[in-house]
Amino acid sequence: MSETLKSIGFALGMCLVCGVLLTAAATGLQPMQEKNRLSDRQKNVLYTVDLASRDKAYTPEQIRDIYEKNIDKIRVSAAGEIAEPAEDKAGDGQVLTIYLYTKNGEIQNYIIPIESQGLWGKIYGYMALENDGSTVAGFTVYEHSETPGLGGEIEKQWFQENFEGKKIVDRTGRFVAVQIAKGDVDKRVPEEKESHYVDGISGATLTGRYLSKGLEKTLSRYEPVSLCFRKQRLSCRLQEPTDPGEK
Amino acid sequence: MKLTRTKAFKTFAGPAWYENPINMQMLGICSALAVTVQLKTAFVMTLAMTFVVSLSNLIISLLRNVIPGNIRIIVELAVIASLVILADEFLRAYYFEISKLLSVFVGLIITNCIILGRAEGFALSNPPHLAFVDGLGNGVGYGSVLMSVALIRELFGSGSIFGYTVVPERLYAAGYEDMGLMLLAPAAFIIIGLMAWLQKYLVNSRK
Amino acid sequence: MVELLSLFLNSVFAGNILLAYFLGMCSFVAVSKNIETAVGLGFAVIFVLTVTTPVNWLIFHGLLSPGALAWAGLPDVDLSFLKLIIFISVIAAMVQAIEIIIDRFSASLYAGLGIFLPLIAVNCAILGGSLFMVERNLTFIESVVFGFGAGVGWMLAIVAMAAARIKLRYADLPSGLEGFAITMIVTGLMAMAFMLFSGITM
Repeated sequence: MSETLKSIGFALGMCLVCGVLLTAAATGLQPMQEKNRLSDRQKNVLYTVDLASRDKAYTPEQIRDIYEKNIDKIRVSAAGEIAEPAEDKAGDGQVLTIYLYTKNGEIQNYIIPIESQGLWGKIYGYMALENDGSTVAGFTVYEHSETPGLGGEIEKQWFQENFEGKKIVDRTGRFVAVQIAKGDVDKRVPEEKESHYVDGISGATLTGRYLSKGLEKTLSRYEPVSLCFRKQRLSCRLQEPTDPGEK
Repeated sequence: MKLTRTKAFKTFAGPAWYENPINMQMLGICSALAVTVQLKTAFVMTLAMTFVVSLSNLIISLLRNVIPGNIRIIVELAVIASLVILADEFLRAYYFEISKLLSVFVGLIITNCIILGRAEGFALSNPPHLAFVDGLGNGVGYGSVLMSVALIRELFGSGSIFGYTVVPERLYAAGYEDMGLMLLAPAAFIIIGLMAWLQKYLVNSRK
Repeated sequence: MVELLSLFLNSVFAGNILLAYFLGMCSFVAVSKNIETAVGLGFAVIFVLTVTTPVNWLIFHGLLSPGALAWAGLPDVDLSFLKLIIFISVIAAMVQAIEIIIDRFSASLYAGLGIFLPLIAVNCAILGGSLFMVERNLTFIESVVFGFGAGVGWMLAIVAMAAARIKLRYADLPSGLEGFAITMIVTGLMAMAFMLFSGITM
């Protein structure tokens, strides 16, 4: 019996020591990890508008400085008015988050947070659009669970740079979003559609298909905002960030 | 007294070469292959692995006289899991980019048979300093295989070493292409098979 | 429904947990020497993965994930750093429990599977299944399908390997290539074949 007691005592002691150690480490390192996560997202926002280059390394402080100088996070209602956070209590998606890149008092780009289904899990990223409301300025992915070498290529520069200059509307001005082709655009896609297709990844047809669907869904939700920019309505000329604290 | 005759050296060199945990004993291959697309990730994985295996050996060796036999395995797993969590949290706090690339594979060090194997087979019956050195040797042996596979995969798959492009532009211009297969899973299996063959051949021919 | 089927097919073929993610290699190399044991271990892995992945899902989303403890009045607590240690304990406990149950109810099954169950507790495919489930944000139903699919994929790989190794016994290999080395090379060829399935779409 004493043997059993000794084992139970030892196990309890083990649990206590490990638990205390791990909790201390996790709590101690958490602020650091949060900072990294935030910095990583800010960096990805900057990538889409070419304020940071993918080939260079930055400290979190540098990223924060560039970000705070140029980017404002705002929430807009579907009509393009600045929304108070309180209005989205129901969470029905009527209030949208966008990031604005402002230069010399002029909005250059608006950046949309992308969330898409992938083959294995959610894909998160950002897409920047020019202030004409129809041209893609940049695209990044900061989190995904696709297979390395196949679907995982969506995190690579070559794939993301393909999006630059693509249109989310067709020639008649109708909204079509951006699609990922099944192979190379110039071989697979008819001439008149080339402006809203990007090259696909070989061996990752499914990832491409999911991402196409996800982009279309997100972009169509943001279509009212894009329309604003396309029509150059005054209410879209959002200048002031609503809440400087929320960065 | 020559260095190569000391017990500590033998403890280190055994696992690092003659009984290499991956090639000679076929252990711990899982995590070994998954992170070998780039040298950078392979190197960090090696460090994490060496950290866990040497410290778990040390701790278990220190506790070897007080651990009740009937809950031995659970205690070993608890020690290993705690060390892995520490390594994982540390990486996510200080090396965020790399920890994103390593994803779940740091966590999978827990079920790496090398560590439990050394804890059971060595740490329980040897004094702490030898157990620690044995852990280091295993970490290095493990790391050397990881790094060699990663070197081949990165060099032929992306034309770079540690992220720096080494294949000259002229060669690409002349029609050389990176080998896409190297970045995919099958290449890792085949390379590790060829390396195990080479090492076994070398070890056998010495005898 | 179609999504679930496609998730299943993907976890069996193109995203095979062993051939694409390298998990469960140790037992794969050690146990693929003959067909019967490979089949036995394969079934055991399917069983354990199908049970532990959803159980770990419940534990993770009910207790560990950030904000999971809101029901207990602790909405700010984030225990997700404990997931590794909890998952491995759950897996070890489940394996133990399954062993006891099988022992109670079916002597023949226990005789067949009993020897493999302890092996499974330290098979990284099982822990990998649970970690991928968290990583990929699966829903509960998806975690069941994924656990089952990953198990089936693992079994398919090990049984195919066992069949190939029987043929290899009669091969005249150069010194040093026999055993582990040739097994790895054949696995590589098999992984290539499995990659071809990535074209399957629903």
